Amino acid sequence: MSADRERHTMTDRDIALLLADAADGAEIGIAPTQAVIRGGRRRRARRWAIATATALAIVGSTATLALAGLPDGDGHQVAPAATQRATTTPDAFQDAPHRTTLATGTDQGKKWKVFIDVWGAPRDEAEAQVQLTAMAEYEESAPDVRKASDLVGKVAYFVYRGYGDTTSPVLENTVVASDAMSDTDLTSGALPLVPGAGNPVRLGIGSVAKTAERVLCHMKDGDGISLLKAPASEETDNVEPAIRSAEGSPYNWFVCVAPKGTEFESAEVTALS
Amino acid sequence: MGDRKEARDEEFQSFVVGRWPRLLRTAFLLTGEQHAAEDLVQSTLEQVYVAWRRVGSADDPEAYVRRVMINAHARKHRKRLKEFLAPRDDSGLAREVADTGDRIAQADDRGALLTALADLPPRQREAVVLRYWEDLTETQTAEAMGCSVGAVKSNTAKGIAKLRAIPGLADMVTSGEGRRK
Repeated sequence: MSADRERHTMTDRDIALLLADAADGAEIGIAPTQAVIRGGRRRRARRWAIATATALAIVGSTATLALAGLPDGDGHQVAPAATQRATTTPDAFQDAPHRTTLATGTDQGKKWKVFIDVWGAPRDEAEAQVQLTAMAEYEESAPDVRKASDLVGKVAYFVYRGYGDTTSPVLENTVVASDAMSDTDLTSGALPLVPGAGNPVRLGIGSVAKTAERVLCHMKDGDGISLLKAPASEETDNVEPAIRSAEGSPYNWFVCVAPKGTEFESAEVTALS
Repeated sequence: MGDRKEARDEEFQSFVVGRWPRLLRTAFLLTGEQHAAEDLVQSTLEQVYVAWRRVGSADDPEAYVRRVMINAHARKHRKRLKEFLAPRDDSGLAREVADTGDRIAQADDRGALLTALADLPPRQREAVVLRYWEDLTETQTAEAMGCSVGAVKSNTAKGIAKLRAIPGLADMVTSGEGRRK
């Protein structure tokens, strides 16, 4: 081995030793396995939302181009996408979310509820910072927001499922305030109505364009449930499943519950205004 | 189906517990800061959890985890790294030569190395950490960084050359060797 080679090897080893020494400076606590799993589950839910919304945004824009300015089947003028987006202005800054109950019911003697918290879009970094602090008080954390500036101009929403005494977040997302769904765009997800693994997937939650008048939910046994658009409800206890607006949200929302013995499969918009 | 999911979760938990110390140390070298390192590992493992069904049954889950961590580091910490790694002491005491075996000197040495690492461009830092701390081959490092072996060679060589060129660090190598004997 030449002198140069030996010197080189020694130096590499020295650097490896120095790195090992520096790495020892890390304080190794107990692995936060539960926090990691909770975070992973949140990511999975968010991935569903974002992936679906992205896919539908593409479909939506194509459909909008075809329909823009043209009368629909009933002779009504269909609003072009640009008009629709222009009417959706960023919400004022909030220090508390708009909470809207989307649906309630009773299952096996226990009350269940689906509600959504929507935070308006902060206009600048200072507002975003205050809003992030307020969100933390609600134990809500806007996805994909690492610093206050990430939240500027974006609406954050969190959907919860309450069953008996258990309330769990089931969906969260941040979208630009000008985001809009159009035509028959629809995003939906399915989950057990009763918290806990292994339950039948009976609960379907989704969002649709503000113009959607009817949603048909398909069940795995072949049956369907038709939901109609309902006026905004101030009720929090008896909210029948329907298409409902949620204050601050750029979309309308619906909730379907499959009867016992079957599961939610899919949903589609079957009528537009 | 529920049983399978539970079994997967348990398997994932074991994986996290087993890999946490090593991953945290790697993240510490990449970020130079305890909390940033914890954030990086947690965020990495959350992403791994989402894909665990596939990753857990793969031949080399470690490779996937490394790739996710390097990507996450590149994406989330690159811009903020300087801020995290800016020298904390303005006193200049870190440069003082201390006796071998002195724990304070050891902490200073670590700080000096972390600062030196922070001065490297992110890709060079990643290459150096993966090659010299994780002890990966050039091919494994290239897979983790999502680049060619040539790029790994180049980034490693440049990074190491810069570290070697730092006089304080060279002294530290000598004293560090002394401590270990």
